[in-house]
Amino acid sequence: MRRFNFGTVMLVVLILTAFCVLPAGVMAAGKMLKIAIVAPSASNDLAFTQSIVDGINAVKKERPIDLAVTDGTFVVEDAAAAIRDYAKKGYDLVIAHGSQYGGSLKEIAKDFPKTAFAWGTSADTFGLPNVSSYEAASDEGGFVMGMMAAALSKKGSIGVVGPIEVGDAKLFVDGFVAGAKAQNPKIKANVNYIGSFSDVALAAEAARAHMAVGADVLTGTAQMVVGAIGAARSKGVAWFGTQADQTELAPEIVVACQVYKWEVILRQILADMDNGILGGKKYAITLANDGLMIEFNPKYKLPDTVTKIGKKAVMDIKSGKIKPLK
Amino acid sequence: MSDLINTTIIIATVASGIRLATPFLLASLGESIGQRSGVLNLGVDGVMLLGAFAAYYTVLKTGNLFLGIMIGLILGALIGLFYAFITVNLQAQQGVSGIGIYLFGLGMSDLLFQKLVGTPRPIMPFRILHIPLLSDIPIIGEMFFDHSLIVYVAFLLVPLLSLIINRTTYGMNIRAIGENPEAADSLGVSVGGIRYSALIIGNMLAGLAGAALAIELGIFQHNLTNAMGFIAIALVYFGAWRPLGVMAGSLVFGVVAAIVLQCKTLGLIPRSASDLAAMAPAIITILALVVVANRFRQPTALTKPYVRGG
Amino acid sequence: MMEESGSVPVLEMRGITKHFPGVVANDNVSFNLLKGEVHALLGENGAGKSTLMKILFGFYPPDAGQVFLNGHAVNLTSPAHAIANGICMIHQHFMLVPTLTVAENVALGLRSSRHPLTDLAAVTKRIQQLSDTFGLQVDPLAYVWQLAVGERQRVEIIKALYRDASILILDEPTAVLTPKEVDDLFQILRQMAEAGRSLIFISHKLHEVMALSDRITVLRNGCVTGEANPCDTSRAKLAQMMVGREVKLAPDKPHTQICEPRLEVKDLVVEGDRKTDAVCGLSFQICGGEVLGVAGVSGNGQRELAEAICGLRKPKTGQIKIDGQSVPSGNAKAAREAGLSYVPEERMRDGAIADFNIFENFILLNHGQKRFCRMGFLRFTPIHQHSRTLIDEYTVKTPNLETPAKNLSGGNIQKLILARELSSDPKVLIAAQPTRGVDIGAAEYIHERLSHQRTNGTATLVISEDLDEVLALSDRIAVMFEGRIMGIVNREEASRERIGLMMAGVDPDSPPADYCPSPE
Repeated sequence: MRRFNFGTVMLVVLILTAFCVLPAGVMAAGKMLKIAIVAPSASNDLAFTQSIVDGINAVKKERPIDLAVTDGTFVVEDAAAAIRDYAKKGYDLVIAHGSQYGGSLKEIAKDFPKTAFAWGTSADTFGLPNVSSYEAASDEGGFVMGMMAAALSKKGSIGVVGPIEVGDAKLFVDGFVAGAKAQNPKIKANVNYIGSFSDVALAAEAARAHMAVGADVLTGTAQMVVGAIGAARSKGVAWFGTQADQTELAPEIVVACQVYKWEVILRQILADMDNGILGGKKYAITLANDGLMIEFNPKYKLPDTVTKIGKKAVMDIKSGKIKPLK
Repeated sequence: MSDLINTTIIIATVASGIRLATPFLLASLGESIGQRSGVLNLGVDGVMLLGAFAAYYTVLKTGNLFLGIMIGLILGALIGLFYAFITVNLQAQQGVSGIGIYLFGLGMSDLLFQKLVGTPRPIMPFRILHIPLLSDIPIIGEMFFDHSLIVYVAFLLVPLLSLIINRTTYGMNIRAIGENPEAADSLGVSVGGIRYSALIIGNMLAGLAGAALAIELGIFQHNLTNAMGFIAIALVYFGAWRPLGVMAGSLVFGVVAAIVLQCKTLGLIPRSASDLAAMAPAIITILALVVVANRFRQPTALTKPYVRGG
Repeated sequence: MMEESGSVPVLEMRGITKHFPGVVANDNVSFNLLKGEVHALLGENGAGKSTLMKILFGFYPPDAGQVFLNGHAVNLTSPAHAIANGICMIHQHFMLVPTLTVAENVALGLRSSRHPLTDLAAVTKRIQQLSDTFGLQVDPLAYVWQLAVGERQRVEIIKALYRDASILILDEPTAVLTPKEVDDLFQILRQMAEAGRSLIFISHKLHEVMALSDRITVLRNGCVTGEANPCDTSRAKLAQMMVGREVKLAPDKPHTQICEPRLEVKDLVVEGDRKTDAVCGLSFQICGGEVLGVAGVSGNGQRELAEAICGLRKPKTGQIKIDGQSVPSGNAKAAREAGLSYVPEERMRDGAIADFNIFENFILLNHGQKRFCRMGFLRFTPIHQHSRTLIDEYTVKTPNLETPAKNLSGGNIQKLILARELSSDPKVLIAAQPTRGVDIGAAEYIHERLSHQRTNGTATLVISEDLDEVLALSDRIAVMFEGRIMGIVNREEASRERIGLMMAGVDPDSPPADYCPSPE
């Protein structure tokens, strides 16, 4: 009896585990147009995934939508299975919210020519008539906040905490640095790509490293920056956020955030679908189409001069007077 | 002027390395105790995640850091009890069971976080604990005595555990059953009892490591530990199962990571080599591991369930 | 409470019965032990000696029967409980932790005077006292891994003395000792008995039992088959009680026609595990129908020599020829193909695969041959037939062909290996420690088989620590010391004394240090 059936025990543990690791939830509501979202992180991550869910929810107020969300699919194979499943179930639009899903989507979309697919962030529709791509011009907001950061910095030194130098993160960081240099050519804008999207502790120490060399304004992008925000907060150093409104993480230090309003392009995609166009188009949210917004933290006492610089920069980019990365 | 800046940077880097090393140190100290008694636990990271979430949630709800730490410890103890039951009583294969614990911790911590918290909300982190006299020493004070209580606790555990392992009968029993449980059993030492206690203590330290991480960062999110627990296991081998060695390993890992960060911040590492440089702590640890692994032998009974007369 | 008196035995085991699945290990065994006596428990492997002692030591409970200590019934439930009752056991495999010091090993499991801290200084002092009293030379501060086998044995005895054991169980304590160490051990044991301790001496070595014991109880198949006094019994009588029939203690050695040299070894230099030369330029040859015995204390290069000849260890220099054909060095397969068979010293490590069953172990070498394998698939019918034939021929005792090798007794595993190795009718046979840890019946049988093979014209190299075995089997005897052959003597000229001297590195007659009987 000593050698209790170990296999059974492990099976129970594994089943329990599988239960816990499975995507956190599939929810459904409403009627008419059936839309599904498949996204990598949690739908309330205050960042990438939450932005698309919030976007759809905004559109939902205007027209009846049957929405289903599968989040937490950081494993691409799981996401692919979910995408195919939704297409099979007859969803009208399936949104694959993660550039890593592109390869799988390309294959799946061919099998379901009557289903509309959207994926981002990317600018590639694979030449398929039923795939739209979407991206965010995050360099624009980055540029605006870079200008404000340079104006706000007393020591002439600012710091950026990045994950890995790719995609949306690179776009934002490059825009931010360009904006800072445009405001103050002498500014020291140190960029630290920590090499990970998930190492919160390392992000915190990266922020501290910036502060140690004298940075008094910080920014950062991707989900591990929560650590950096905490570090900045402990030293009372100003923070600019992106992808979502991060004010509630540190109301004392968040100056402003670039917020993604995907509803802007979602409306366009749905309008096209109403006209029978299932894809083949590229969409982008920008300051000009109000898909990107700079949201100021009302609790932060920002000098009026800096606020003005920011607002002017937004106007200039909208009007095309400033082209951030050109 | 530039001298001043350099000193500040060096101080900041060392202090940063110590902070980074702390969760590794706690986790690998815990793992080393379990391994010394002959039980491998690959689930450290899962225990850390559960400890981290439990502590985070407790602090979020009560605002009491001490309570958060206690909950992290208790949770670790419970998992230790469960793991001891699996490995000692059921004599399960330790590698697979540990991975089971890890997956359970990874999934369960995220599930609970999603259900109970959802959107990340900050909690009050540790305060810096000023130690009279020591903290006031120039340079040294700023490097080593400008930390939170948990950092001091972690490093004080090193001599304490050294003492327990090397100078107490309990420690001697642990060493004996990790090498030759049959011999210990023949002298009336309870192999199962010692393994239970070693696993409970070890997992308490893993739970504490997670709690310390969450409270130090003031936040929780999915996979907060980012596989720290696995590195902690490597550091146990690096440290040749000795508390001092484990501390050295954690410090090497932490300080190298801090140096790389600081160099990137100062622009000393080109952007193109950034991701490569991020691997430096792991690479240096592996190299050191290879050197150490040839000199020391793991506990002979490691991973082997003990069956009397078997 | 009854006063302890001379008439009440310190220990009595009455009607002990213990079953294991499919086996009756002890069947109504009764046994008693008097104060100050050495009582030998003699029996073959599997006769039930160890089971009886493990019951006494609290490892497991008996199914029936009762243990009395000084006339009082006790139930010993764990080793700790047994120790508390003054019973200590010295196990066949040392129960020592190599990474701890001698003092730590001794203190293990005992409550320290400075609890919870250890008090190794006090332990060290006490060990020194004990080692002075009993002449047990040992350094309390040394780590056990640093100690030689004999020293480890002394640590085990000190452990028992330290616990002030009134009853000491010694389970085959001489299995790994040299003759000199055995003599020293016996002296200490006698001294302990004289001091009023009672000793149970478990062994299957007849001459040791005769030399040491006051009383002998013989077990066979779980039952007591007799009790004897060494003064009025003989080795032959004891052997008969053990085996249940008459036993031949040395095989017949018919005269064989010595023909051409079949195995030639020339200038062989082999590196040991410690990267120093373990075999330093050996040369010898063995003819067909001849047995060359290699005597010597273990660790003088015998293992490296055997492994080099078998191609398991690549020699630095030197040449090995079988039937005049040079065998490529360090190539076990080539050596096998040249007609060599090997019965290794570590039979469970090198000779058989513990978790494989009987027939799998039988075809380890030739499972690729056409008769056992067709198009990569094993042919179980011929394999089973072959295995059954070998089992019958070599009287391997096993429940069935599917039994894992590890469940067999030492003697049966050795018979299994021997059967496999001899079934190819080898030109050259290397047999290392062929009967170590094997019971008398099996040893007798193995000796007969080796002798039979000699008659068949095989050139045999027997490496053994057991001088009796070497003398019984060999035509010529080579003595190895520190990687060299001290000399090769013909069996007729070999005396125990002469070989004993050579084993200690003393050259009995000068000059030839490296005896090379090359015909040129």
